[in-house]
Amino acid sequence: MVDPIPYINLSWLVPAFPLLGFLVTGLANKHLKHNLAGIIASVMVVLSFAVSVSLFFILRSSGQEAVTVTLFNWIAIGGMNIPFAFLIDHLSLTMMLIVTGVGALIHIYSIGYMHDDERVNSFFAQMNLFTFSMLLLVMGANYLVLFIGWEGVGLCSYLLIGFWFKNPAYNYAARKAFVINRIGDLGFILGIILIFFTFKSVTFSEVFSQAASFHAGSPVITLITILLLVGAIGKSAQIPLFTWLPDAMAGPTPVSALIHAATMVTAGIYMIARSSILYNLAPITLNIIILIGLATALIAALIGLKQNDIKKVLAYSTVSQLGYMFLALGLGAYSAGVFHVTTHAFFKALLFLGAGSVIHAMGGEQDIRKMGGLRKKMPLTYFTFLTATLAISGIPPFSGFFSKDLILSKAFEHNIILYILALGGALLTCFYMFRLLFLVFFGEKRLAGAHPHESPKVMTVPLLILSALSVFGGFLNIPSLFGGDSRFSTFLQSTVQTNASEELSHSTETGLILGSLLLLALIIVYAYRLFVSKAVVPAKDGESMPLFSKLIYNKFYFDEIYTAVFEKPFGFLSDFFYHKIENTVLDPAVDSIGQVTEHAGTLLRRLQKGNMSFYLFAMVAGILLFIIFILIV
Amino acid sequence: MIVLIILLIPFITGLLLLLVRNAVAVKRAALASSVVNFLLTFSLVFTVPVSGYTANWINFLGVEFALGYDGISLVMLLLTGLLFPFIIMTGMKRDQPQVSLLYALILFTQAALIGVFLAQNAFLFYVFWELTLIPLYFILLLWGGECRRNVTFKFFIYTLTGSLFLLFGIIFLYHLTPGMHTTDFSVFSKLNIPAGTQVWLFWVLFIAFAIKMPVFPFHTWQPSTYTIAPTQGVMILAGVMTKMGIYGALRFLFPIIPLGVVYWQNTVIILSLIGVIYASVIAFRQTNIIRLIAFSSMAHISLMVAAMFVLNYYALQGLLFQVLSHGVTIVALFYIVMLIEEKTATLQLPQMGGIKLQAPNMAILFLMVVLGSVALPLTAGFVGEFLIITGLFHQSIWFALFGGITMILGAIYMLYAYQRVMLGDKKPALGTITDLSRHDYFLLIPLITIIFGLGIYPQPVFDLVEASVKSMQDLLLPLAGSLPALPQ
Repeated sequence: MVDPIPYINLSWLVPAFPLLGFLVTGLANKHLKHNLAGIIASVMVVLSFAVSVSLFFILRSSGQEAVTVTLFNWIAIGGMNIPFAFLIDHLSLTMMLIVTGVGALIHIYSIGYMHDDERVNSFFAQMNLFTFSMLLLVMGANYLVLFIGWEGVGLCSYLLIGFWFKNPAYNYAARKAFVINRIGDLGFILGIILIFFTFKSVTFSEVFSQAASFHAGSPVITLITILLLVGAIGKSAQIPLFTWLPDAMAGPTPVSALIHAATMVTAGIYMIARSSILYNLAPITLNIIILIGLATALIAALIGLKQNDIKKVLAYSTVSQLGYMFLALGLGAYSAGVFHVTTHAFFKALLFLGAGSVIHAMGGEQDIRKMGGLRKKMPLTYFTFLTATLAISGIPPFSGFFSKDLILSKAFEHNIILYILALGGALLTCFYMFRLLFLVFFGEKRLAGAHPHESPKVMTVPLLILSALSVFGGFLNIPSLFGGDSRFSTFLQSTVQTNASEELSHSTETGLILGSLLLLALIIVYAYRLFVSKAVVPAKDGESMPLFSKLIYNKFYFDEIYTAVFEKPFGFLSDFFYHKIENTVLDPAVDSIGQVTEHAGTLLRRLQKGNMSFYLFAMVAGILLFIIFILIV
Repeated sequence: MIVLIILLIPFITGLLLLLVRNAVAVKRAALASSVVNFLLTFSLVFTVPVSGYTANWINFLGVEFALGYDGISLVMLLLTGLLFPFIIMTGMKRDQPQVSLLYALILFTQAALIGVFLAQNAFLFYVFWELTLIPLYFILLLWGGECRRNVTFKFFIYTLTGSLFLLFGIIFLYHLTPGMHTTDFSVFSKLNIPAGTQVWLFWVLFIAFAIKMPVFPFHTWQPSTYTIAPTQGVMILAGVMTKMGIYGALRFLFPIIPLGVVYWQNTVIILSLIGVIYASVIAFRQTNIIRLIAFSSMAHISLMVAAMFVLNYYALQGLLFQVLSHGVTIVALFYIVMLIEEKTATLQLPQMGGIKLQAPNMAILFLMVVLGSVALPLTAGFVGEFLIITGLFHQSIWFALFGGITMILGAIYMLYAYQRVMLGDKKPALGTITDLSRHDYFLLIPLITIIFGLGIYPQPVFDLVEASVKSMQDLLLPLAGSLPALPQ
C-alpha cells in the first residue's frame, strides 16, 4: 500500500478550470464586453497551468512515479469496469504542462489577435472547451477516458476550423477534418474493444502489467497496435489520412497554433508512447510506423517546398514534423518522440503565432509572394520567427537541434538508409523554412498599399516567451555527448518503455552532427542566394513549371485522387441506393403486394367518413367499460 | 395496482378531453396527465417487489387481464412516460385544429403503448399492439401533410399485415400449451417447441416486429410516413413505436423460440448491418431533412437490432441504453426540425443556410442534439453504441467494423445536414428568422440535459436492467455457446 499523496486528489482542477471558463464564456456569451471573455479564458488556462506545475512538484516530492485519481464509476457492468479516472505520471504531466503552458500563451495572444472579431466570445469558449478536452485526453487513466478527450478535441477542431462559418469552403474543411478523424477513431475504438476482450480491462496500469505475459509478435497484440495506429494516423495527420490538416488552416491562426500544431495533432504520438509496452511487443507494427512516419515526413516536406500560403507551408511542415515523431516511435525511441513533441510545440506554436502576427499586419494577406521586407517593420516578430526557424531547422543550440538529432541518431543505429532519408527530410525542412523566412522578412516590399506594423504587446510578449522556449527548450535533454544527462528521457523512463539499443559512440555521433551541420549551412546559403541575393519570387499560379515541380505544387494530387476514389463514388452509391434500389425495387415490390388489399381498403375508408370524435369516443369508452366490467366481476 | 393506474390515466384523461372545448385547457390537462403518468412510472423504479395486477378476463379462452413488468419493460415504460410530456408540450404554443380530438388520440396512443409494455400474456399484448395503430392512424390522417391519405394507408396496411402473422403465431403457440390453453408469456416460454418448428415460427413472429422497427428490407413505409406525419405523430413513431418492435422481439423471440433465434441469428445480424449501411448511405443525398432523419433513424435502429441478435450481455445492455438514448435524441431532433420548418417554411436543405447568423442559440442546441446523434463521447449515444459495438465485436470483428461504420457515415450526413441548415451565408429568400423562444428552451434544455446526463453518468440505467439482462443471458447461455461468462 502506497502512501496517499497530499493534494493529489485536486488534480481534477486542471481540466475543471478550462471547463468552467467554457461554461462562463459560453453561457454569458452575449453579456461579456470587450476583452472580458479572452481574459477569463486565459486566466482559466493559466490557473490550470499553475495547478499542473504544483502537481509536478507534489509528485516529485512524494517519490512515487504514478498516481491514479478516480472521480467516479463511469461504466460498470458485468466484467466491464471503466472508471472516470486520471493518471498523473511523468508522461501525462509532461503533456499537461505543454497543453496548459503553450495553451495559456496562445490564449493570451488571441486576446490581441481576435480583438476585432464579432464572435470573439464564442471563440474563447471553444478554445477553453478544447483545452478541457485535450486535458482529458492526456490525463485519462484508461483508454476510454482518453477517447472522450480524443473525440472532444476533434469536435473543437471541427468547430474552430469552421469558426468563420459564412464561408462554405471553411465549413467543408471543418467537416473533412471531422470525418477523416472519425475514420481513424473507428479503428481506435475497435482497438480499445479488443484490448478490453484481451485484458478484461481498458485501464492503462492493468493492461500494461498483463501485457508481460504475451510474447513479442503475438497476433492479438499486433492487431491491437494496428487498430490503435489507425486512430493515431487520423489524429496526427499521417499518410494516408493527412489531407485534412492543410485544409484545417481555414481556422483562425491561434487555432492553427494550438490545435493543429502544438497539441491536438500530437495526440496520436502521445497515445502510442503511452502504449509503448504494447508496441514493443509488435515489431511488425513498429516497422509500419517507421514507413508511415518517414514517408509522411518526406512527402509533406516536399510539398512544403512549393507552397505560397504562409500557413500552408507551416501546415505541411507540421505534417512533416509529425512524421519525424512517428519515425521516432517506430524506432522504439518513444521518449525521443515525446521530446520532439515538446520542442515542436514551442517552435511551431511560435511560427504560427508569428505568421498570425504577419497576417494581422498585412491586413489578412497570406500569400508570401506578396510579402517581403517585413524585417524592419516588425522587428520583434522577425526576431522571434528567426529563432523558431533556426530551431525547426535543427541548428544548435536551438531546441529543435537536440530533439531532431536524437531521432536522427536513432535512425542511424537502426539503418543507414533510414538515416540518409531522414536527414534528407531535415534538409528539405531547412530549405522551405528559410525560403519562407527570406520571402516574408527580407528583400523589398512587394505589395503596394500595405502598411505593415508591429503587433501589440499582448501578442508580442507570448512570442518572446515562446522564442525563449524555442531557444533553450533543448537543454531539457542534453545528451551525454555534450556532457548532459538526458534529463527529459530519464524523466519519462518510468512511463515509457524504450526499446533498448546500443548507444552510438561519441566519435560517430560527433561526425554525424558535423556532417549534417555542414549540409544545413549550405542549404541556408543556397536559399539566401536564391531568395535574397537574386530576389527570386515563386511562380504565379497557372504559370508552367517542370513536371516534378508541378506534382509537388499540386500536393501530389492527393485531394483530387481522394475525391475521385471516395467522395464521388459515395455520392453515386447514395443516389444508386435511393433511386435504383429504394424507389425502383423495394418500394414498388411492397406496393404491388399492397394492391391486392387496396380494394378492400377502399371499402374500409368509406366507413370512416362519419363523425370521427364519436367513433373514437365509442371505441375507447367500450374498451374502458370492458376493463371496468372485469374489475367489478 | 400502480400499473393499472398508469394504464388508465391516459385512457380516462383522453376520454374526458373529448368533452372539453377550450384548447388551452385541453393541452394543459393532457400535459398534466402525462407528467403524473411519468412520475408514477418513475416510482416503479423504487417499488420493490414488482407491483403487478391481475384480474379474470376472458375465462373460456384462459386469458387473464394480467399486467406486470421487468427491467426491460421498465425501460420502455420510462421512455414512454418521459417522452409523452415533451410530445404534448410540442403542441403547447401552436395553433392546431381539433385540439381535443388530437390530444385525446395522443393519450390513447400512449395508453395503448403502456399496455403493450405491461401485458403479461400474448393475447393482451396483441390487443394493445393493434390498439396503438388506430389512434396513430387518425393522427397521421387528420393532421398529416401532403399525400397523407395514400401514405397513411400504406403504413396502416403494411403494419397490419405484419400483425396478422403475429396473430397467427400467437394462436399457434396457444394451441401448443398443455391442458387448459393459455397465452401467458410464462407458459409460452416453457413450451420446449421442437427446433424444426422454431425455425419457421421465427419468421412468423419476427415479421411484425421487423416491420415496426423497421429492419431492412421491410422499411419502405417509414421515410414517406415520417415525411407526412405531423411533428407529434413522428415523435411518437420514431421515439416510441420503433422501440415497441424491439420490445416485442425481446418478449416473444428470445424466451419462446430461442432455438429459432440462434438459427437465424447471423441472417438477421447481416440484414441489420446491411440496413445500417444502406440507410446511412442513402441519408447522405437526401434533400428533405425529415427524410434524412428518417434514414438516419433507420440506421440507428438497425444497429440496435444487430445488437439484439448477437446474444451478448454487453450488446443487450447497450441496446436497452440506446432505446432511451435514441428516443430522447430523435424527439429533440424532430422538435428542432419543426422549428426550422416553421421559421423557413421549407424542409428542403438546398433552400436553407445561414440560419446561425440570425438564430445562434438555435444553432448551438441543434448542434448539441446532432452530437448526441453521432454518438460523441459524453452523450448517451456514445455509451449505447460503444456497448453495442463491443457486443458485435465479440461475435465477429467484421460485424463490429460494419456496425461501427455508422460512426463515420453518421458524422458525414448529420454534419452535412447541420451545415446546410445553419451555416453558410445568409439566404435572403428565407427572410428574418427569430431565435428560440422561452418555450423552446423549456422543451429542449431538459432533453439535451438527459442526452448529456446519461452520457456522463449512465450507471443508473445499467443497474435498472441488470437483472433482466442477466436472466435473458442465462436463458440463452446454453444455446449460443459463444456468450461470455458473467463474473459473479
